[in-house]
Amino acid sequence: MQHRLLRFHVSAFMKWRHLWSPELVALLLAMFVFVLPASASTRLEDRSLFTQSNIPDAVTSYKVSFRYMTPSPVSSVDFLVCVNPIPYEACVTPPGFDASQAILSDQMGEMGYSILSKSTNHIVLTRASTALPINTLSSYTFDNIKNPSNTNQSFSIRLRTHASSDATGVQTDFGSVKAQMTEGVNIETQVPPMLVFCLAQQVEENCTSTNDTYYTNMGTLDSESTLVARSQMAVGTNATAGFAITAVGIPLAAGTSVIDGIESPTESAPGTNQFGINLVANSAPAIGDDPEGTWTNALPTPDYGIPNQYKYVSGDVIAESPNVSLMKKFTVSYIVNASPYLRAGVYTTTITYIASGRF
Amino acid sequence: MKRFKSIALAAFAVFVAVGLFAPTFDASAEGSASLSITPKKNYIVEPGKSVDDTLVIRNLDSQAPLNLTLRVVDFTYTNNGGTPKINLAPDAPETTWSLRSFLKVPESVTIPAGQSRTLDMSIAIPAGHGAGSYYSAIVYSSGASEGGNVGLSASGVSLVFVTIPGTVTEKLNLKKVGLYNPNVTNGDLKGYQFSTEHKPMEIGYTLENKGNVTEAPVGTIKLKDLFGNETLIDDVNPTGSLALIGQTRTYTTCIKKASQNADFQGSTARGTTCVDPGLWPGYYSVSLDLFYGQNGNNTQEIVGKGSFWYLPWWFVIAVIIILLVVAFFIWRLVVKIRNTMYGPRFKKSSLRRRR
Repeated sequence: MQHRLLRFHVSAFMKWRHLWSPELVALLLAMFVFVLPASASTRLEDRSLFTQSNIPDAVTSYKVSFRYMTPSPVSSVDFLVCVNPIPYEACVTPPGFDASQAILSDQMGEMGYSILSKSTNHIVLTRASTALPINTLSSYTFDNIKNPSNTNQSFSIRLRTHASSDATGVQTDFGSVKAQMTEGVNIETQVPPMLVFCLAQQVEENCTSTNDTYYTNMGTLDSESTLVARSQMAVGTNATAGFAITAVGIPLAAGTSVIDGIESPTESAPGTNQFGINLVANSAPAIGDDPEGTWTNALPTPDYGIPNQYKYVSGDVIAESPNVSLMKKFTVSYIVNASPYLRAGVYTTTITYIASGRF
Repeated sequence: MKRFKSIALAAFAVFVAVGLFAPTFDASAEGSASLSITPKKNYIVEPGKSVDDTLVIRNLDSQAPLNLTLRVVDFTYTNNGGTPKINLAPDAPETTWSLRSFLKVPESVTIPAGQSRTLDMSIAIPAGHGAGSYYSAIVYSSGASEGGNVGLSASGVSLVFVTIPGTVTEKLNLKKVGLYNPNVTNGDLKGYQFSTEHKPMEIGYTLENKGNVTEAPVGTIKLKDLFGNETLIDDVNPTGSLALIGQTRTYTTCIKKASQNADFQGSTARGTTCVDPGLWPGYYSVSLDLFYGQNGNNTQEIVGKGSFWYLPWWFVIAVIIILLVVAFFIWRLVVKIRNTMYGPRFKKSSLRRRR
């Protein structure tokens, strides 16, 4: 018996001993510490919300539609109006919203409901019938509802169906519908978004003054030195989506002879045809300044923010901010290099800097 | 006479000296290039109806007048972000979502130094026009400079979005959700990371808009660690950003954010920045629950999952040490059990001898 046990051990253990060393088994066991967890549910289908008016603070009617999914009796429907659509999250009432005077003016599909209770952001419909829901689209229209005030924030109605007549106990189906007010014309109650932009050879950070100079003579091109120039621009916005500045314009040209823009960030190389810009302080050649401003979210885009590396591609975004940004001043450095074979002429260009909001 | 000659010569010398050693930039007063505009406008206009509104433009320059020409152009997206790509070509064909035919603005305006002007604008949608999202941009251009090698011109842009209500096609496909770092520039969808040694600050998700309307989804993101601790991000689109028609748009949101109020041109601007959420190292699952839908259309829901590892170097080293210690004790245990079963100094050779 002992002999058989020993043979079994040899075949089961010793053959694989080179793979399953005690050390490896120990490591694997230790790694079982990292176990991964995982989650599911029934939602009302074809949910929609139609608001008769999208004007903030207007008193209007809301039509909520959905399809009952679970084939079990429903005696009440719960409508909870919150900023966030997620059913299990804390509910914050959209500012200005008021359903306390709501009237159930129409119903289709599953019918027989009346309002059991209503408050600022909560309506419960109830009915006596406990019949199984039919599989058609049902809709409920409420009048006398006051829209939220905020146009910057969407809001939701969280829906729940219950077998009980007072929307208590276990829910049957659930789901949410979403809506958002839009900016009405001439809304005076909210601070309008602004985009402030100025451009010149020299500007103040707040754009209140510039030196009103919009061009530069860079001097005479030769193949052994780099011509440089600089301009400044300041930009800021209180718009939540931020801003972007795009540079547009053909590179320096004299008739058909063009000094091409540098297509990827490259160091200045006298003796080759190069036209490029960047938005940071450089040492080769010594020109430019880093962006100036209190907030750090407005930055040159990566290709235009590398010291001593220059690029110019018309249509490129050269600076941007992903959100609200106080005034920020950017210094644009220009370099021009020429090959010995560059055709003689007066090389000129106009670069348009376009400041836009983001979407 | 001699005295007059010497004065004239001196004046000439000064003139020449000034001409030779003047700064590189020539001074010229051509007008202001300092403006304040509205960056974005949103409207809902029913077919067959029109909307009248105003554009307020301010000349911030206290010295020079602001001369602007206005035109309506089309735009699209630059990449997976929210930066518009403005099409300035004068002969550019209208896009399918263009408002150029419907949006009317004045051709030019001159605004005195330090003052504002209110311009009328109107949007008229023809009867029977299809429901959906339409957008174009109003470009305000200051005059181009004359002279010099490099001339500068400033332009501002207002993006105008119009929703024509009705039944629309809405389809957002979730491409990815996970840890996001804007400084990461590799991969098909730049910025996503499966593991990081730096503190996780932002979560991103990428949506492809296959519908005929712009979409601004809302919802929540939940992070869950190995021990079931949850971190909730209750506003996944804090800037109300849009996915344009055809765009694959990446949205980012801070795991934890701090707000900051500041004065901006006389009003209060509220900025937000991402701050350290205080996550512990380890594995995190990311659950995304998104809602979108236009007024009167079905509210659509997207559920997605992702994951990432937060593995700072100190943690990796600590885990290796702990694993080695645990492995050492397990090995000791295995050896002890084996010795108990087969006797001390059990070796393959001794097994062979026994056989």
